[in-house]
Amino acid sequence: MSQYKPKLVCFSCKFGWGYLTDEASLSKQIDNWAPIICTGKIDTTHMIDAFERGADGILILACPEGDCHYQDGNIEAKKRVFLLRKMLESVGIETERIRIELAVDPDGIRIQQLVKDMTEDLAKLGPAKKSIPVRKTTKKEAVKAGGRK
Amino acid sequence: MWKTESTGITHVETAVRQCLPPCQIKCPINEDIQRTNVLISLLPEDPDLAKNGVIQISEYLYNKNPFFNICGYICGICELECNYSKKGGAIKRRMLKRFLSDIFTEHLKEREELELVKTKENVAVVGGGPGGLMCAYDLSKRGYRVTIIESFDRLGGALWLVPDYRLPKDVLQTTVDNLVRIAGIDIRYKSRLGEGKLTLERLKNEGYKAVFLATGLPYPRVLTFEGQFVDGQDLSGVMYGHTYLYEVSHNNIAKNYFKGKKVVVTGGGNVAFDVARSVRRQGGEVTVVCLEREDKDHRDGIPADEEEVRGAWEEGLRIVYSRGVRKIVGQNGQFKGIECPTCVSVFDEQGFNPKFDCTDCIDLEGDVLIITVGQAQDRPLLQKENLLNERGRLDMDHLTLQSTSKPWLFIGGDVRRVGFMVEAMAEGLVAAESIDRYLRGVDMREGRRRDYEGYEIPIRRDYKPEPELLWIPPENRMHFQLFEKGFTLKEAIEEAKRCVTCGPCLSCKACISIGFQKSLSPVEVDEARCSGCGHCVYTCNYYAARLVNRGDKVVSETDMFKCKSCGMCVVACPSQSRKMVDDDTADRIASVYATL
Repeated sequence: MSQYKPKLVCFSCKFGWGYLTDEASLSKQIDNWAPIICTGKIDTTHMIDAFERGADGILILACPEGDCHYQDGNIEAKKRVFLLRKMLESVGIETERIRIELAVDPDGIRIQQLVKDMTEDLAKLGPAKKSIPVRKTTKKEAVKAGGRK
Repeated sequence: MWKTESTGITHVETAVRQCLPPCQIKCPINEDIQRTNVLISLLPEDPDLAKNGVIQISEYLYNKNPFFNICGYICGICELECNYSKKGGAIKRRMLKRFLSDIFTEHLKEREELELVKTKENVAVVGGGPGGLMCAYDLSKRGYRVTIIESFDRLGGALWLVPDYRLPKDVLQTTVDNLVRIAGIDIRYKSRLGEGKLTLERLKNEGYKAVFLATGLPYPRVLTFEGQFVDGQDLSGVMYGHTYLYEVSHNNIAKNYFKGKKVVVTGGGNVAFDVARSVRRQGGEVTVVCLEREDKDHRDGIPADEEEVRGAWEEGLRIVYSRGVRKIVGQNGQFKGIECPTCVSVFDEQGFNPKFDCTDCIDLEGDVLIITVGQAQDRPLLQKENLLNERGRLDMDHLTLQSTSKPWLFIGGDVRRVGFMVEAMAEGLVAAESIDRYLRGVDMREGRRRDYEGYEIPIRRDYKPEPELLWIPPENRMHFQLFEKGFTLKEAIEEAKRCVTCGPCLSCKACISIGFQKSLSPVEVDEARCSGCGHCVYTCNYYAARLVNRGDKVVSETDMFKCKSCGMCVVACPSQSRKMVDDDTADRIASVYATL
């Protein structure tokens, strides 16, 4: 078990996290980090996808309440996380595997720490329950996915 | 730290449909308010690091508006139209600019001159106030050789009459000095048009191919009652506000000059309040008498800004509303008092036309009367130069500012119509465009009238209350130092964050200029998939998504001018019929997932 290193996917909004630092050099230090514009853009399917592809947890770093550049994108993300957690619980996946933080960190210095902390917590949980049936993408869904891109 | 770029894609665009945030529509020069608010909100909290960002933002503003640091003290008319004013108080844009100004004005002294190649015609600008300077700046940038003909020994015009407690002299001096240095403008000081041999015709003969006349309103308007001149304006102890402020600006009036004196100020405009509050600071006991009513929303409401009235009230000035001046009473050549009948109405359908009820008349006693009822043009000069029509008005095209009798002459600023500083500046820009068109021989009018469309405030869960402006308490501000405290860096960031950026992305592009995204991604709707459920309409905070009929089907569409590319409708769409074109979010996520 000591060899086990959980895979954590981290999304962060550029308007609140690390906007003063060089993104390229920061991303070298943080594995699986995707800085995007507005966490309200993260769909539930993106999050489920992450688990299906082998992630053990998801960390979403959104802007503080009331500070979203797109008004309420962070609140939308928070709602989505709340609902998805309920759903994951119902299929026996620990709710702790999705975490959302609403704060501001212009220099992005906390990102690494938050990722480290959550990775440690995930390590205690062990790998995500592999009982989730990894679905084969149906033809219909493939069309959809293509259409979305 | 980010670095703004203003080349190519990052340039704000003049949209096909002229949509702008309401503040930018209100601003006569359409300053890029939204973009710079966003950039201020993204400044580092460390003051040393933030300085670099402040200078970048200021440079951007300066390029379009070399007076922005002065606007930061005395303008702020954009705030009148701010959508947020209905939701908790307008964004304090003026204070945000003052915050930039506090850092940038110092930096201005070291700023390098513009690299301009001036190969075009010589142009003369008569009058070195905000209108004239703005015109000269714009023409210089276009490659014209500009000379300002200034009657005094300093540039800035009526801006010098703004008391120091609102606009410090060194800010004004630094701004105008550096403006002419940076743009390479020539000045002829102490040259008054109409004096000696200096006439417009002579300027033309000297080789100036076009002239912009922006001489402002150099004289005070005299006091009249029912159309008649009120006698006694030559009494000792009677003066004009305009003259008084001029003397104050030259430090010609001693600190406690009005100590123990009762001073009556007539007039209800901002200038009258500048006078009254300055007199108060010089020890006088002040009563302001104005025709207008206290209620600003009334047609006859007092024209002075609410903040001026509040400031005056705090400082212990007495304001007598709805009263005119029928008679100036004197004794042995010395002013004694005025008779003030009630003013029942100020404006009617024709405009300014005050009506009085003389049965209700009060006497006000005083030692000094300062008349501040407006300023006047130099009529003899305009007459001599043959610029007036038979109705005594300036004979000119008010769209292009071109004179009717002299096609090479353009007239603008306060001399044409009294207004705020920034309105004169806007006319300077209009004149510069006209002069350029005139000298290039192209159509003077084509495409010049622009009508803008405003935006509603976006929907959000919480709107934040406005911060309170910090004024030095009245008992401690009886001097000519600034009485309003500027924003700290932290306060500026907070206030800039409060701006909900209601305007279109095309006229902002702050995020692109600092590399947050590569382009704005329009939202596309696949109508074949769309079921017309309306989730997107419900989700959109900008009123951009809407349902429309397509034959027998209801589908959604997106108003590209209102869409902010936030992507929330895309996520909300249950039939996956919406997508963002050229958006790299999906790719970014996919590339992260690929490494799992």
